[in-house]
Amino acid sequence: MCVRCDMLTRRSLLVGGGAAAAALHTGAAQARVLPQQMVPLVGPGYRPTERDEQGLWKEMDRVEEEIAGTNLLIDNPRIGHYLQDLIGTVGGPAAKDFRIYLLRIPEFNAMMFPTGFAVVFSGLLLRMRNEAQLAGVIAHESGHFLRRHMIRSWRDQKRKTDILAIGAMLAGVGGAGAGVYLGDYVQLAQLGTILTLFQYSRAMEAEADAMGAKLIAETGYPPIEMSNIWEQLIGEENASARYRGKHRHRGSIFDTHPSEGSRMVDLKADAAEITVPGKAYDNHRARYLTTIGPIRQMLLDDQVKLNDPGASQYLIETLAQDGWNGLLRFYEGEVWRLRNRDGDELRAGQSYAAAVAYPDAPADAWRWHGITLMKQGRTVEAKAAFSRYLRMKPDAPDDAWVRQMAG
Amino acid sequence: MLKRGIAVAAAASVALSACVQTRQFADTEFTPPEGDYKLLVLRPDVSVGSLTTGGMVEPRADWTDPARHSVVDALRVQQAGRGGKVTIVEHRNEVPGVTAQELADVERLNFAVDQSIVLHKYLGDYLPTKRGKGLDWSLGADAVRLGQKTGYDYALFLHAEDAQASGGRIALGLLGLAGCFIGFCAPNVGGQQQLDYASLVDLKTGEVVWFNVVQAGSEIPGIKFGDLRTPAGATQMIDRLLGRMKPGKDAIKGHVMTPEPASKH
Repeated sequence: MCVRCDMLTRRSLLVGGGAAAAALHTGAAQARVLPQQMVPLVGPGYRPTERDEQGLWKEMDRVEEEIAGTNLLIDNPRIGHYLQDLIGTVGGPAAKDFRIYLLRIPEFNAMMFPTGFAVVFSGLLLRMRNEAQLAGVIAHESGHFLRRHMIRSWRDQKRKTDILAIGAMLAGVGGAGAGVYLGDYVQLAQLGTILTLFQYSRAMEAEADAMGAKLIAETGYPPIEMSNIWEQLIGEENASARYRGKHRHRGSIFDTHPSEGSRMVDLKADAAEITVPGKAYDNHRARYLTTIGPIRQMLLDDQVKLNDPGASQYLIETLAQDGWNGLLRFYEGEVWRLRNRDGDELRAGQSYAAAVAYPDAPADAWRWHGITLMKQGRTVEAKAAFSRYLRMKPDAPDDAWVRQMAG
Repeated sequence: MLKRGIAVAAAASVALSACVQTRQFADTEFTPPEGDYKLLVLRPDVSVGSLTTGGMVEPRADWTDPARHSVVDALRVQQAGRGGKVTIVEHRNEVPGVTAQELADVERLNFAVDQSIVLHKYLGDYLPTKRGKGLDWSLGADAVRLGQKTGYDYALFLHAEDAQASGGRIALGLLGLAGCFIGFCAPNVGGQQQLDYASLVDLKTGEVVWFNVVQAGSEIPGIKFGDLRTPAGATQMIDRLLGRMKPGKDAIKGHVMTPEPASKH
């Protein structure tokens, strides 16, 4: 139940699926779920009453304890409260029951657990251009809880695997009685079961998207921002794939989530449907950027160190559509420097020079600007840049070396 | 005649297709704790589920709770028999002298080390540098500090998971058994599955001195190998897992050289 789940469970399921299915590569199109139809299925203070759901909740106790105490948790009370307030706003009837944890993982993802706690990866905060986009993702996750997706998909899996097991056994026993071999049909049934499980999972994601769009529109965010998220992500993945000489994954019948393209299109249609003409919507970009300000450098730093220059460059350029600044220019330089292709050193140097022209340039921009100048033989300017670096970062770990360079 | 032959084969396979496996490793110098020692058991991780007809494990809160109690009780009785003073904590804030965070750090470190032990000792990814060295893993200074702050000699980590065949799963097995009489014999669809492991850490040295894995399972739904929900099943599991702790090979040699050669191994 995450925005973009990893493919582990999918792969393990595939082991039993047979390779023949790989050829059935389709767009897996699905009818759009209408936001108006998305009514929350739980109220405030929901507790499970049925045995299987109680079991599921029990399993989650220690999971939440682990996540709440992990050292990946970003311990910034201001951002913590901000996220909690956000889910408290767009979380529908269960808004006050949700817990939300921010983990330092430089990937685009967020997830909701069956008991109503959500996990947001730091890579998501880097990519969101305004509060409306972040609210959209959080509302999508809330949608999973409000529509009881975890227990519904568990029951769906249980029912289908039960039917398959009984059917396979009956085919074996019945086939033996009648003197025919039905093994091939059993394998087909197995594949069919697996495919319907994926289809069910995609249907749940489509529901959560529609629910999410409805929730954010009701709380005054422009619903089109949810579609924009996918547009940005598609762009990023294309850029990343292009750099590596590959193609972006475009969706298949084995996906747990609808393809990014179809989500973008559906959410655009949702937005058109639920946007009320004349109503004032606000994406709260300024509030968002002020709140994540203290950790934005860390977010960018983690991203550029992923060694994915295609994606990093795309991300920085996308964020810069809202205005270049010293931080973004510096990390643009870092992308080039770490990529280290022909001409990248020059490009990086230009970015560092551009970065230090902004008042918000980080200390490291001055350091690298100094190194670039030193290499160009502009010693006096280089020394000035190094001194600036040391003034900005008095406890610099490379203090001794920079002092020596600065003379 | 042929049909009877299959039925006999089926009966034989029923007898063969169920088993309990245990495999333990110990530090070469390890001697099982005996007498006056203090043992800290950190959050025994016990869960019991139901094996659905289709083979999924459905977690059951109403089975896990009694199983946790049974396992903890069985562990107390077993350790009392060895003479040790045992403290079993359910929550990380229950150990005087250390913070919940410090305890969490040791627990997580132990988890990572346990995974490494399982990978390199059980799953076939053997390390040449650790060959012939018994169990050569350590939690290091963190575990020693835990011992100093709390006064415990050992820490025990325990994990037990059990899945009991549901009515539907048993029926499926019976259907498969019925098939034996017409030539499609498949009673062995898989029944109870239990996996338990434990690691013992010496808090004076920080080393993992002993590790054991127990796997119990039956191919035939309905046949059980100890049921963690019951006191008897829990006692049996604790006995399989902790009851036959063997000393390390150097500890055995040392023992043989003592003036009492009467002891046998």
